[in-house]
Amino acid sequence: MSLVVGLTRRAVAAGLAFGLAGLSAAPASAGDLVIYSAVDFGGTVAKAFEAKTGIKVNLVEPGGTGELLGKIAAEGSNPQFDLVWVDGSAILERMLGDKVLQPIPSALIAKGDYNDVGKKLVPASRAFIPTSVSTTSITVNTKKVPADKLPKSFADLLTPDFIGLTGSKDPNLSGPSFQFIAGIFQVMGEDNGKDFFKKLLTDKKSSGFASGGGLNKALLTGDLKAGFSQDSSTYAKIDKGEPLAVIYPSEGVVALPAGIGMSAKTGNAEAAAKFIEFALGKDGQAAMQDGDDTDYYLAPIVNGVAAKKGRATDIKYVYLDGATAGAKEAEWKKWYKDNFVP
Amino acid sequence: MTTIDQVRAARSIRSPEVFVVRPGTAGRHLGDWLANGAIAAVFGVLVLLPLGLVLIQTIMPALFDPVNPRMTLDAGALARAFGEPRLLGAIFNSLLLAGGVCVLATSLGAAYAFAMHRTNMPLRGFFVSVPWLVFLTPAYLKGLAWGLLMSPGGYLTQAGVLPDWLSTAFFGPAGLVFIHTFSLFPLPFFVIGGALAGLGSEFEDAARLSGASLGQAWLRINLPLLAPAFALCAIAVFAEVLSDFGLASTIARTSGFGLLTYSIYVAASAYPVDFALAGSQSLVLLLLVLALVLADRLLRRQMTARLISGRSRPARVYGLGHWRWLVAAGCLLVALLALVLPLGAIAVRSVCRTLSAGPAPGNLTLEFLRQALTFNNPSNEALLRSFGFASITALVAAAAAVLLSLRLDRASGVMRPAVLAISLGTVAVPGIVLGFGYILVWNRLPVFRDWPLPHYGDASLLVTGYIGTALPYCLVIILAAVGQLAPNLTDAARLHGAGWTRRVLRIVLPLVAMSVITAFLFTFIRTMFELPMSELLVPVRGPAAPSVIIHLFGKDDDGPGSALSLLAMLLVGAASATIWVSSALPGGEPKLSTSMTSSPTSASW
Repeated sequence: MSLVVGLTRRAVAAGLAFGLAGLSAAPASAGDLVIYSAVDFGGTVAKAFEAKTGIKVNLVEPGGTGELLGKIAAEGSNPQFDLVWVDGSAILERMLGDKVLQPIPSALIAKGDYNDVGKKLVPASRAFIPTSVSTTSITVNTKKVPADKLPKSFADLLTPDFIGLTGSKDPNLSGPSFQFIAGIFQVMGEDNGKDFFKKLLTDKKSSGFASGGGLNKALLTGDLKAGFSQDSSTYAKIDKGEPLAVIYPSEGVVALPAGIGMSAKTGNAEAAAKFIEFALGKDGQAAMQDGDDTDYYLAPIVNGVAAKKGRATDIKYVYLDGATAGAKEAEWKKWYKDNFVP
Repeated sequence: MTTIDQVRAARSIRSPEVFVVRPGTAGRHLGDWLANGAIAAVFGVLVLLPLGLVLIQTIMPALFDPVNPRMTLDAGALARAFGEPRLLGAIFNSLLLAGGVCVLATSLGAAYAFAMHRTNMPLRGFFVSVPWLVFLTPAYLKGLAWGLLMSPGGYLTQAGVLPDWLSTAFFGPAGLVFIHTFSLFPLPFFVIGGALAGLGSEFEDAARLSGASLGQAWLRINLPLLAPAFALCAIAVFAEVLSDFGLASTIARTSGFGLLTYSIYVAASAYPVDFALAGSQSLVLLLLVLALVLADRLLRRQMTARLISGRSRPARVYGLGHWRWLVAAGCLLVALLALVLPLGAIAVRSVCRTLSAGPAPGNLTLEFLRQALTFNNPSNEALLRSFGFASITALVAAAAAVLLSLRLDRASGVMRPAVLAISLGTVAVPGIVLGFGYILVWNRLPVFRDWPLPHYGDASLLVTGYIGTALPYCLVIILAAVGQLAPNLTDAARLHGAGWTRRVLRIVLPLVAMSVITAFLFTFIRTMFELPMSELLVPVRGPAAPSVIIHLFGKDDDGPGSALSLLAMLLVGAASATIWVSSALPGGEPKLSTSMTSSPTSASW
């Protein structure tokens, strides 16, 4: 017993020492880059960047996208990050409007060797610089839906096979989900789009997921047959052997760029620019696919960069009207919360 | 709420003979004013200011607008909180759930306490530790674990013991009541167990000698005497369920059963944050919990005719014959549902590659555990970081609580009730609200944002936040113990020339050592698993373990998330057990007469 007590006392002392070291460690120095990230590959790219440039990156990843956005909102006019890297253009446009972000310098954008899709994703406002793209598609559990019953369009979902059995994420907690809903409204028109969701999402249990993880789990182990998920997350699951299929509906799917925004108050503009340049370069793009989580299954938007094997890139994209989506954001989110969130 | 109510329950059965002489002139001295000012400053900065900044946005929604901050008054959010069916539904659901759970958890806890304290059932040494282990497992881990067990493709379905209809029914109010009941029964167990120990058997024996049957003695004598403890448990459990976030954000959300705390989270986890709505709903929650506290006080004032004394009374242990095995089986079932299954699910998931393949030989792996044990791995770093943060938090909070208790115990006027009221309020408010308040104070207010220590973005602010949430618990635990000390002990020492420091170190601390250790361990364990502060105040140098766990589960990386959770629990369990055992060993800190196994606070009263 005394040996155990002694060892654990030493462990506690070590823990205390570690905690004190953590407390007394010098705060992030002026030269360090602080990046708030909600993309899976943020850490991989940051490590590759550190290795290449020697510039220290402090990557901040709170529990989920919702917490990250809440944190940025609470910081408000005094943002503590240099760069923010998230999925979804609408959120970043809104942050620019709130002067939390500053426009990305044109010269930096000009350095990006974008393909045709990439060029269309660069916002006129320069709220962010796109680094890759994905989309929200229809994901189907192929064990529950036979091949001849697979939906080909959004309209095909309005059948008893899918009504109440299709999952969706809460746009209040998920940037990609807001982009998707705004895209549906853009394609179908706002009234028809709202009607579509009201007819399809009849069970609040499955229409208010906070993250893609929960939705995927419900698709794989729950009652759901289909769901609106990020295609990259579905490809990641398929690669792990899960019985899922990605379906791009005939109406088109809204492009969901992963974008980097620059803080209006950054004191590290030079290092921030270097990071953006790195992310769009060959090494950065390679690091963005060097993993097996959701976001690593991206569709490249830089010339000469290939997607992971099996990942579709020939997709009929709809490009979001950021101004309308930004202006309607609060109203649409509230509408969704009132109708579909438990 | 839990500990506070244990304290009050323990006080409700303690001896009235102990009294404290309060120096009537103390408040007039400059030193007293300074000390009171320091206490007010500590609570003001750690609790009142952050909380106030969130709540005030209920009526000043544009106070922190990023573009045009202004102090325009607008009570629209408060009207929304009561006017919108969804939000009203969340309040109603929360009250309904809390009502159901308070009846069931109190009944279960009371039955378990009776079995432990008043029967000769076997294996009591093992069973008495179960409520402690359940009590110390965070709610969000229980929610995640039951998700792994009960989902249609989960472990119980794979084992063939869970029919589809039960799986479907579980993810609804019934499942929530079930998990809450088995999570919260330790609270009534602690309180009613303490009351049973204090009650003894002499009243019952007197009734029997007067011709009453056993049933009559319990119905007419014992149960009325235990009624305050039952009422206290019901109120405490009710408040716990109302303010719970762990299950609200896991099982309740996936059940489509909107609850108040999850509504607050939804309002606060978006860009832009709806601070006005989050604040107004927090206000509703706060008022509900404070109403409960008030009800509790009124209730206890009416029940003044107490015959229970604090003297240790021998209690009759009923011989159950062969029935004792049935009682043991019942307790085993409780242990299985409350502890073994949820922790087992986490443990199994941590060694399985995928959930759907289950614990089959080809699906087993030690990779997730190895990663979490590998130095420089993000999970391992987070684990060590949290261990250090929790140790420092527990140390500082317990030390601060000792100093505050010494001061408050002699304080006159409103200081003592005011601090206790603030403590109760803090415990009731969801951590996410306080976390946002910390960001507003330390990143937005001109004076505070320039302070070097604590500083927003550094670990120092996260630890400060941990201390802010832990201090009320520590204070109530230690204050109650300090309040028990007869003043003649320290007076005698003073007359013999002992200075303040010596009196505290040589007399006070040894006598309240068990309470200090209890407060330390309680804070240490809570901090290791504290979620909202860990997420919102995540240091730029790296996150604490809880936010990494939630991040992993959110990405559907259940395996690594479970491995990290398992290691965190093992680490906490080993460290806590060793500290507790070493403090109780000969040569360790002085022991008080009562064992901690009966109640977390009983040692002090």
